[in-house]
Amino acid sequence: MRDSANFDSPLNLYEAYDHAELRILLITGGWEVRRSFNQMGIQPGDCIRVLRRAPFGGPLMIDNQGTQVAVGKQLAEKIRVEVLQ
Amino acid sequence: MKVALVGQPNSGKSTLFNAVAGYRSLTSNFAGTTVEYTHGQARVGGEVLELIDLPGLYSLTPTSAVEEVSRDYLLGGDWDLIVNVLDASQLARSLELTLELLDLESPLVVCLNMMDEAARKGMTIDTHALEISLGVPVVEAIGARGRGILETFRMAQEVAASGKRSHAFIYAPEAESMVEELAEKIAAGVQGRQVAVPDRSGVGEGVGVSNQESGHSPALDSAAFSCMAGRCSSACCGHSSAMDGQQGPRVTAAVAVLAAQPLLIRPPTNSKALPFQSPIVNHQSQIAEFPPPRFRALQWVQSDPGQTRREEPEMAPLVEWAQAEIALRTGQPADAAISAARHAACLTLFERVARITRPKADWREQVDRLAMHPIWGYAVLMGVFLGFFRLIFDVGKLGEDRILNLFDAVVAALAQHMNPQGALFAGAKGAVLGTAGAVAIVLPYLLPFLVGLAILEDIGYLSRVGYLMDAAMHRLGLHGTATLPILVGYGCSVPAVMATRILTTRRDRFIAAFLAVLVPCSARMTVIFALVGFYLGANYALGIYALNIVVIAIAGHVLARIWPEISPGMLMEVPAYRVPGVRVVVLKTWWRLREFVLVAFPLLVVGSVVLSLVDYYGWQHGINAALSPFTALLGLPRSVGLTLIFGVLRKELSLLMLMQALGTTHVLGVMTAAQILIFTLFVTFYIPCMATLASMTRELGWRLTLAASGALLALAIVVSLAARGVMLLF
Repeated sequence: MRDSANFDSPLNLYEAYDHAELRILLITGGWEVRRSFNQMGIQPGDCIRVLRRAPFGGPLMIDNQGTQVAVGKQLAEKIRVEVLQ
Repeated sequence: MKVALVGQPNSGKSTLFNAVAGYRSLTSNFAGTTVEYTHGQARVGGEVLELIDLPGLYSLTPTSAVEEVSRDYLLGGDWDLIVNVLDASQLARSLELTLELLDLESPLVVCLNMMDEAARKGMTIDTHALEISLGVPVVEAIGARGRGILETFRMAQEVAASGKRSHAFIYAPEAESMVEELAEKIAAGVQGRQVAVPDRSGVGEGVGVSNQESGHSPALDSAAFSCMAGRCSSACCGHSSAMDGQQGPRVTAAVAVLAAQPLLIRPPTNSKALPFQSPIVNHQSQIAEFPPPRFRALQWVQSDPGQTRREEPEMAPLVEWAQAEIALRTGQPADAAISAARHAACLTLFERVARITRPKADWREQVDRLAMHPIWGYAVLMGVFLGFFRLIFDVGKLGEDRILNLFDAVVAALAQHMNPQGALFAGAKGAVLGTAGAVAIVLPYLLPFLVGLAILEDIGYLSRVGYLMDAAMHRLGLHGTATLPILVGYGCSVPAVMATRILTTRRDRFIAAFLAVLVPCSARMTVIFALVGFYLGANYALGIYALNIVVIAIAGHVLARIWPEISPGMLMEVPAYRVPGVRVVVLKTWWRLREFVLVAFPLLVVGSVVLSLVDYYGWQHGINAALSPFTALLGLPRSVGLTLIFGVLRKELSLLMLMQALGTTHVLGVMTAAQILIFTLFVTFYIPCMATLASMTRELGWRLTLAASGALLALAIVVSLAARGVMLLF
């Protein structure tokens, strides 16, 4: 499932285009960060989509299997993603 | 029978609770915390159930204080059965908590709530298949329409009567042997003794040995009964071959189940000979420990290593060994490996039981396109809040005038029946006026506010506000969710402080409450406009508001420095819009109102009586003299000293008292423009009123309230002195 070359993907969630289908490759950051994402049901391998973003460096709104989650900038930058076709 | 309602936030737990428990329910704090839960009684089929509605939690590995307290309650075991409420439309994610609850090996009923919402999303759920996979009863419900609620509680009674318990769900076979090793140590009670880290090569054998020893394992039957998810149940069927050949590091789930189970239901006597058990028989007497060792082992494996070392130093080496071992086998940190496995299991389960077709066209996406738009979203936000405040003030004003007239009549009547010169009358008048302050001034505004707040909460708009305002609130060291209390502060500080409850950490609550009471409430608005606006001009009044915003920004910055943020940023579920339930709104309002009445009313009445007596006995001269160094420092007339104390009782009183103290309504004749400005600035910023202090004490505890009051007083002095300095210069 995972293409190891993609772990070097320079793209983080905050930089991804809106509405594109994305796959989470890796959640960087420590225990706390992993736990928080896990609690929201967000895990590496999941396919997500950025629905919209708040202005002035505000949070992103993502869709993960029908659940909408607001993700702050710093946290979004901890998620490495790849763009799916 | 005690039933704990457990579910993720927004799963509709409270709707279920409110539908059966009703008005006599109580909100209480968990011992030693500000975390609240609701509990009440419900009569179902002739039996009285005691229901405990725990705060929503996403998982049993907590990341917030609220979740930690809920989890600790669950692990305390002071309940007979868990009803796990799920949002069916979020089934995949909701199942993660359910899988963890299964590990508690206790009576459990799953309530699949919001089935209508799921249908709208185009989901059809095979409840029966889910029931078989989880091994516990699953009841469909639409809580908002009252469907399936009684069925849920009847099923709970049935399950409790049968004594049937849930079975651990094995989802991370790679980790199972380590978990089991830990569980064994826990069951054997190694805590307090030095734990020998097991030799890695011995792990596989250890599993085999405990297997053999247990002989006839009840797990065989229970595993088959609970039908643990596809691969596991098929593995269970082939258990004999698995048992023979199992030595390598890849211990299969079946062996792990077989090995782990005897430990879980080991009788307290620690005897190895286990009687044969049907899984439907009540296991209560056989359970040696609650929470089950396997559950605790899993928790430890997922815990933060640093925390384990601090809290359980004896266990730390073993836990770290298990974590390292799992990391080695799976190529990722132990907690990530386990949660990934659980996540995968949930998705597999979800795919098996749910079918998704095209969702029906939904107006709510259209609403969100507007309500969360980068430009129009803010227009909507302003509109909603302006409308909200308008409503509060219109309704409040209506109530205030009428009720105040009523109390004036009471005072007049008292004066006729008592000696108007006596101390008794002064005291009685104080009591009546204090009650009037609470009933006529606070209540008419608080009641519509609480109703409005409950509606906004229930619709799901508040989380949208959080999303929109997050960037701005970051500048104050807070998250978007803290917008509400600060905006509400412009109306009344009491509900503003109560609104900080929607924030998760104590730090955020404190900072938000502090900033919210700095915002000039409507009572202070009357002082600002009646004094500065009237005597110095509207521009000065607006200038005070502008200065106030600057001070709030600085205070936010400073507080964020003093008490730095730990959480890394916003991560918040934004639920779909929902039509608020009347019952939920009414009950929420009622509970919040009742709390306020119980805490703040007595304080207001007592404070008012004391101040009346001070006035009666003519102690104000002494007080003014005592405060004279202070009033002199600010360059204010000596006679305003007592006024400032009255302001603590009720802010708008400082205006009335000022006129009374000065003996004139023409203030500019006795105070200079500069004095009026300084007086108003001081009143705007200093200690909040008694009712606010009471609700702060309720939300934050008296220590933080005291600290906040001191800081506010200091701030007021600094601002007033700065203003005085500026005015002396020009």
